[in-house]
Amino acid sequence: MTHLFNRMFRFVLCGLVLLGTLQAFAATTEVVDAIGRKVRITTPVQRVVLNFNFEEFTAVAGKEGWTKVVGISRAPWEGWRPVIFKRYSAVIPNLQAMPDIGNSDDGNFSAEKVIALKPDVLFIAEWTYKSLETARAQIESAGIPILVIDYNAQQLERHLASTRAIGKVMGNEARAEELASLYEHEYKDVLARIAKAGGASNKKVYVELGQAGPDTVGNSYSGTMWGKLLTTLGAVNVADGKLTGPWGPVNAEAVIADNPDLIFIAGSSWINKPKAVKTGYEATPDITRKSLEPYSQRAGWGSLKAVKAGEVHAIEHGLCRTLFDYVAMQYIAKQLYPEAFRDVDPEAAFRSYHTKYLPVAYSGTWMLRLKP
Amino acid sequence: MTLVTDAVTQEYQRAAHQRSRVLVAAGLALLLGVLLDAATGPAFLPIGQVAQAVWGEAQDASVHAIVWAIRLPVALTAVAVGAALGLSGAIMQTILNNPLASSYTLGISAGAGFGASLAIVLGIALPLPESYAIAANAILFAALTCAGVYWIGGARAASAEGLILAGIALLFLFQALLSGLQMIASPESLQQVVFWLFGSLQKSTWPKLAAVVAVLLLCVPFLVRDLWNLTAMKLGDARAAALGVDVRALRLRSFVLISMLTGVAVAFVGTIGFVGLVAPHLSRMLVGEDQRGFLPTSALLGSLLLSLASVASKTIKPGAVIPIGIVTALIGVPFFMWMVVRHRRSYW
Repeated sequence: MTHLFNRMFRFVLCGLVLLGTLQAFAATTEVVDAIGRKVRITTPVQRVVLNFNFEEFTAVAGKEGWTKVVGISRAPWEGWRPVIFKRYSAVIPNLQAMPDIGNSDDGNFSAEKVIALKPDVLFIAEWTYKSLETARAQIESAGIPILVIDYNAQQLERHLASTRAIGKVMGNEARAEELASLYEHEYKDVLARIAKAGGASNKKVYVELGQAGPDTVGNSYSGTMWGKLLTTLGAVNVADGKLTGPWGPVNAEAVIADNPDLIFIAGSSWINKPKAVKTGYEATPDITRKSLEPYSQRAGWGSLKAVKAGEVHAIEHGLCRTLFDYVAMQYIAKQLYPEAFRDVDPEAAFRSYHTKYLPVAYSGTWMLRLKP
Repeated sequence: MTLVTDAVTQEYQRAAHQRSRVLVAAGLALLLGVLLDAATGPAFLPIGQVAQAVWGEAQDASVHAIVWAIRLPVALTAVAVGAALGLSGAIMQTILNNPLASSYTLGISAGAGFGASLAIVLGIALPLPESYAIAANAILFAALTCAGVYWIGGARAASAEGLILAGIALLFLFQALLSGLQMIASPESLQQVVFWLFGSLQKSTWPKLAAVVAVLLLCVPFLVRDLWNLTAMKLGDARAAALGVDVRALRLRSFVLISMLTGVAVAFVGTIGFVGLVAPHLSRMLVGEDQRGFLPTSALLGSLLLSLASVASKTIKPGAVIPIGIVTALIGVPFFMWMVVRHRRSYW
């Protein structure tokens, strides 16, 4: 009798333990996202849909994290940064044939596709979240939690919160914490060096998107992207007060009249843009210089201080508004305050970020001065 | 004498039969359109699952969400908006006695578009949540345009020609204002404006659908009351007046209805221009001028056109959704031309 009782007891105990582990296995976790929303997510997640910030996701969740990704917005990665996408799809097996959920900028973001993929969580960039009021209500009505990620705000807190949120959802909290502290350290270090150097520089800086070639005046930025970065670094942004929105082309005449001390042309690996400034994994310094040279030969640019001093630079557009944008900060700050950043090597910093956190190897040219 | 009345009676009965045949056929086609609309989409759900979800027996929460939160609001909004546009176009062609009249050609859609852009680009809007602020602006400016057309055109005793010219003038005015807004818009809001003008059913929700349906229902009793007066209008202003119709008052009443119908239709889905012009013409070819048949048929054909366009927008390029405004015109124009060429008897 006692024997039977013992067996029953053991059986019940086993059951309880099993139940306990199962519950630990599928617990509801409350995650605070980049804009402070508290989102309840059943973790660990098995199916993930990703709308943006693919490289940040990779850094935090690793290559292994991608085995859980069942859909992405392809256009912002494959379309905007084709060479980077190609590099990643060479090492992430399911990326090449990844289902597409569309892109809100192109007006084809599909809530229906997101729901049909049955994800446990949808990571969504703040700009997508903001523009899709109806779609997000539809997605939430299917019981799919939406987690907002925001590196585009270029605010330290949002960078850190986004990184930690990805880590918490994907079960990579330690790595997320490591990345967050790295970012916070480097970000604060840049600002500390500037403060030590005596604060804001009076140097005038002009940034232009070098996508369409020197014959077209490309977009410049004010208060966002490179514009925000310049302001953070204490430079005088030529585009400030000259644009109707956060970005747009500055009148060619105004640039010459302002006579900037430094010029940065943002390049990338766009396809079908033969005259674009070429930077990124596949660009050699020669290729980058050759594509940058014609910009310095624009009408009227020969007399600019920046051109005369050889201070025309190419910088990869995809460095902006990322978890590794401290690299771009270091590079631009180094040109503004050469003394204070003498021992800072942005290229080495980016190389080391690749080695430690990314599944693709560092290569190519990301930031370069026109005159060697 | 009896021979003549017999012939008239026969002709009347023939027309009545034709009317009911057309209404039944269009109704059935519309039902099919709605079912197809609910059955198609980028998720490629099996039709059985969709049907189960429609009867509320979905085994899968995501299927339920796709059908009830996305596809059904879209399918039914296409019906309601199509009806509103078809109806407003029909009333307009009748009271202005002109085959070119529609909310699109008379600047009402352009006014609505300008109102919406004002909210998107400059944030000038009534204090409402964003998705309704844009819609409210569109409705407001549709109404203002209508009032403008009536006021400017009405300076000369509200003649049809005066109203049409005023409408065309306002069309150009609002297009210019819209271009001005696009010029100063930031790239991101410019994109939003462009997509708004393309028209999209994808932002349909149940509350928005309810708003369109409510306006439709509100308009019906007024239209029913004026059916005979509107029929008389097609004889020309003078004869209608001789038959005891207060032409001026009827035009004013009709303009209020038009502005409400167009405003609410355009507000939530953007400018879908073609339906309001084509549906009344098709309807006239099929059932003639008697407003008792003409108005409901115009509404029904408007719904049918938009419903089919909605299906096409999802199936032309599987997996993608092409903006409905573009598809409507691409499908509607050849169909319309075919009808015009085929229809040898002059119907206007």
